Amino acid sequence: MTTHSKRRTVAKLLAPLVVFGLVAAACGSDDDSGDSGAESGSDTTEASGSESTGTEATDAPAPDGPTIRLRGQDFSEAITIAEVYGQYLEAKGYDVDILTPAGFRTEAIDGLTNGDLDLIVDYIGGSQAALAPDAPPSADPDEIVAVIGPAYDEIGATLLDYSPAVDGDAFVVRGDSEATTISDVAGLDYVLGASSQCPERPQCLIGLEDPEIYGITFADFVTLEFGPLLGEALASNEVDAVIWNTTAPQITEQGFKVLEDDQGLFPAQNIAPIITTEVLGAYGDQLAADLDALSAMITTDDLLAWNTQTDIELRESDAVATEWLQSKGLL
Amino acid sequence: MAVALPEQTAVPRDIGFFEWFFDADTWTGSGGIIESLIDTVLLCAAATAVAALFAVPIAAVLAHYRKAQVTSTWLVSLSRAVPTFAIAALLVPWSLRRGWGFEPWPIFIALFLLAVVPIYLNTYVAIREVPEESVDAARALGYGESAVLGRIEFAMGASLILAGVRVAAIQVVATEPIRAFLGGDGLGRYVRDGFGQNNTTLVVGGIVLIGGLAAITGLLFVFLERLVLPTGVRRLVRHQGERQP
Repeated sequence: MTTHSKRRTVAKLLAPLVVFGLVAAACGSDDDSGDSGAESGSDTTEASGSESTGTEATDAPAPDGPTIRLRGQDFSEAITIAEVYGQYLEAKGYDVDILTPAGFRTEAIDGLTNGDLDLIVDYIGGSQAALAPDAPPSADPDEIVAVIGPAYDEIGATLLDYSPAVDGDAFVVRGDSEATTISDVAGLDYVLGASSQCPERPQCLIGLEDPEIYGITFADFVTLEFGPLLGEALASNEVDAVIWNTTAPQITEQGFKVLEDDQGLFPAQNIAPIITTEVLGAYGDQLAADLDALSAMITTDDLLAWNTQTDIELRESDAVATEWLQSKGLL
Repeated sequence: MAVALPEQTAVPRDIGFFEWFFDADTWTGSGGIIESLIDTVLLCAAATAVAALFAVPIAAVLAHYRKAQVTSTWLVSLSRAVPTFAIAALLVPWSLRRGWGFEPWPIFIALFLLAVVPIYLNTYVAIREVPEESVDAARALGYGESAVLGRIEFAMGASLILAGVRVAAIQVVATEPIRAFLGGDGLGRYVRDGFGQNNTTLVVGGIVLIGGLAAITGLLFVFLERLVLPTGVRRLVRHQGERQP
């Protein structure tokens, strides 16, 4: 009797474990489908690649060279950017391997350095902070290129032309704020919310409080994880201003506004492809020209539109990328 | 007034752990270790205490009447299957929209749910496992139901119940640092800032402080268990080795 009831008890106690196992298995198979999706993606582009060689305006023969391994940083905008560059190159007939997105800037630059990756796309101001943290940040992209170009050369990579598309820091306030520029915030006794890096960065809290730049005294500083939490905190008056990024779709979605950086504190954050010099050399000028042509076509509004589709409408990055490339006649 | 920015945010990356840890500025002031420690201890104590006041009576009464043995155990255990961080993170927007701010409700509720599990389970087992002879003897002496529960079962199970509270308290202390990732502070700030600023010293400092507090919490409960138990029960517990927590 007791053993029987005990056995039932055990079975019932194990039930959640079984459920958990099923959930875990489901998660696992999800990953698998992601992989197979990437494979099938390369299959289809092989086909379209052979097509596009015939229709290409430049009439260039199918480029011949090593596989270009490309990996997006692990947040939605970067994943979409990687898909856009990857699918574009595949359509041009290059042999491309779009790897599963992982890590952030550090991992991307490490990948270039130790030969795990051939192509990354990064924000130039961020690249400078990583490669030359002591160089003064600049709102002028050409000044940043002058710093990070040689720095990338040193690790055997080449910085190609930057895109007009910018995803930089944004000083965001509620729509009803009386301020229109960051300087206006000086007398408003605002509470600022930003990531834990902000207090130690010259381009963030240090610069905002620096009397020679903005000289703002904030009523308080709240450390907030980057992401939608920033919007929630702003909307609920927990903070009065947050440091976000210019292409965050929630800014317009939630009726916030971006204040003008009238003192040019935030560094230029144009996106730019960086490719290993070895692979670039193997393909010759054609590859650089193709990548530059694509970079020139992407705008900040495109980034915002992609983020809206992936983060608000919850669409897949690769589908968003394909659609954009098709709309531009690149696929 | 200039914002009292915590000293910790400006900790240089190449500072050694001991140099940082034994610097007086690390401990005092806004965002210092002392303030963070007080924040953490208050929240942990509140969450554990409320969880104990909530779970012990319910579990004791249910166990006394042998009710809901499987269902309640299963339900309580199931709540542990949802990560505490997920619960707190889900509650944050809810709390913000109601104008209650980041703290204390989301993190408090999440820690409360975390603490309820071991307290409930231990209390239930403690009451249920009281030897039937003791209960029968009490009844023979004319004890009513509430006296059996309060003076026999509760007293004899006190050691296990307290052990449950101890486990809960340690888990709460070890989990509380997630609050720093959800708009709060406390000792978790060192882990958060350390990760954010790529500063290993801060991360290690956070781990040492949180781990140290958890260890001290465990020790305190050992003393508490000795204080609270009546001599007779302590002797009995020593007698029945397997009931030692």
